[in-house]
Amino acid sequence: MTTLSVVAIRLTRVSIPLTMVHAGSMYVIQKTERTVVELTLENGITGLGETWGTPEVYALAQRFAKTWIGKDALDRFALRDMTLGKTSYDNRFGRNGRATLAGLDLAAWDAVARSLKISLAELIGARKREVIDVVSTLPAAILPRAVSRRELTAHLDVLANTKLVVDFALEQVRKSGFRSFKLKSAAYSPEWDWKLLSELREALPEARLRFDPNANYGAATATELCRRLDPLGLEFFEDPTGELEGMARLKAAVKTPVATNMWVVKDEHLLPAIRRKAVDVVLGDLFMWGGIDPWRRMARVAHAYGLKPALHSVYETGIATVANLHLASALSEVEYPNDSGLHFLSSDVLAETQEVKDGAMRLPAGPGLGVMLDRAKIEKLTLESAEVRA
Amino acid sequence: MTAPVSIAHTHVHSLRVASGAEALVARVLAADGGTGFGFTLNLDAGAARDMAAWDALGRSKGVPLSGLLGGSYRKKIDLLEDQNPAIPPDWTALRKDILEGRHELLRIDPFAWGSVEMVQTIAAVAAAFDLGIALLAPNAHPWEVQYCTALAATLRGDDTRIIVRSVPSFSSISVSEMPGIGIDWTLETSFSSIQWLS
Repeated sequence: MTTLSVVAIRLTRVSIPLTMVHAGSMYVIQKTERTVVELTLENGITGLGETWGTPEVYALAQRFAKTWIGKDALDRFALRDMTLGKTSYDNRFGRNGRATLAGLDLAAWDAVARSLKISLAELIGARKREVIDVVSTLPAAILPRAVSRRELTAHLDVLANTKLVVDFALEQVRKSGFRSFKLKSAAYSPEWDWKLLSELREALPEARLRFDPNANYGAATATELCRRLDPLGLEFFEDPTGELEGMARLKAAVKTPVATNMWVVKDEHLLPAIRRKAVDVVLGDLFMWGGIDPWRRMARVAHAYGLKPALHSVYETGIATVANLHLASALSEVEYPNDSGLHFLSSDVLAETQEVKDGAMRLPAGPGLGVMLDRAKIEKLTLESAEVRA
Repeated sequence: MTAPVSIAHTHVHSLRVASGAEALVARVLAADGGTGFGFTLNLDAGAARDMAAWDALGRSKGVPLSGLLGGSYRKKIDLLEDQNPAIPPDWTALRKDILEGRHELLRIDPFAWGSVEMVQTIAAVAAAFDLGIALLAPNAHPWEVQYCTALAATLRGDDTRIIVRSVPSFSSISVSEMPGIGIDWTLETSFSSIQWLS
């Protein structure tokens, strides 16, 4: 086996309703759209990948896929350079380019691991853990339907409504044993955030709590709020403000660790973040970082300089969720629980159910990702699909 | 990250190579029946064992080291004379020196640093900090050069090169597509005389 040529790539854009409305500072959503990638090798083995489901990324995926046909999946580094170029300057597609590449790249890693009859974790480096703790997102507010920003802020003006979020968190504990939570903030009312986090701490004294306003508070407001939140002993403040300089000033003013999934998203962000002591945790998103190897390199560099790498996720299907489990299993640098939003999807594209039990998920057995697509399920969710062949 | 292979047995044998130097050659027998070899001339068997585990995995899967690590950035590596000292294998000191901007080119003896994982970690830091990386074949032994070649193929950065202490007889070396770590063990006739335990 000296080469593993790519002979076909199938792309399916799916829309999956969420089981409830999710609100944060950047969105109020009730569905997630993703692009599922199936990459088939000359040996007949198909690897699975996933990326963002925007029309732009879906179109870019078709464009990239055409250039991958006939290329060797064993040489993912060459595929990466061929697709986006060697440097950031060469990447004319920006964040969408990295996310699109990540989807194809994941499918290639999976296809190769399946061909070599080893798990994806082993191909990344090792299979060190079978069970990975995961984090449940908590929406900024519990809403009956997708609302406008105006309706959302009116809801947040009623501070008694924080109870709904606390009750929801307790329900997650009862249902799936979650021990870690990430509160999305609408970044509208520091008073709401302080009250809600105080109540969550009281209701869940042992839980790991993250606070994520997606950098929508100004640096001064965020620093003031985070100082106030410090005594609650949160796991970390995730992107309380922006950009790197604001994060650095905030970090210097608080005791709670500071994390980012927004300001350290490519190689060249690492050195300034390290030198400026801007963050404690690089909450790397597989798609923002552009695939398995950039994420693995990030983890090594972060760890070398005392930062902690952790896995960010939004509302991804089982494919990316399981990929994140493999990364966490393979890389001993990862100590924090993985973000996961899979339990909020009303359906998945996989045949196997990825269950959260005692706040953790189990790494599937078998080569590659260890999961299979469910054709019937994916057909019901499909918006559009395309296939590129040799 | 040692090679993700289940190891049944590891043996290490001392060998006198043609130049008269002593080498340690390690053989790994994997649980799946595969065999791999590694070596070092600096008499630290750890590097040889690590190499042998990767070799066993690559051979059993029929892929070169680059196929296991994610791919290759180049098919040919420059081979240059360089008399500057290699960086001592002290990770704490190296991390500090890199942060303080004391290096442009990281001269790394992979045999002294002991493992594929360590070289990959140093290379990740080098890439993030825009530093070049040069892998030292300390004795310019063909096995050393071949191993450095297999590793160098997988490292990012246009400055990646192999360095030796005397003027090399060729200026570049092609990356082997042989399964495993890409070493032609027949280059030392004494290799075949090793009496491995069964």
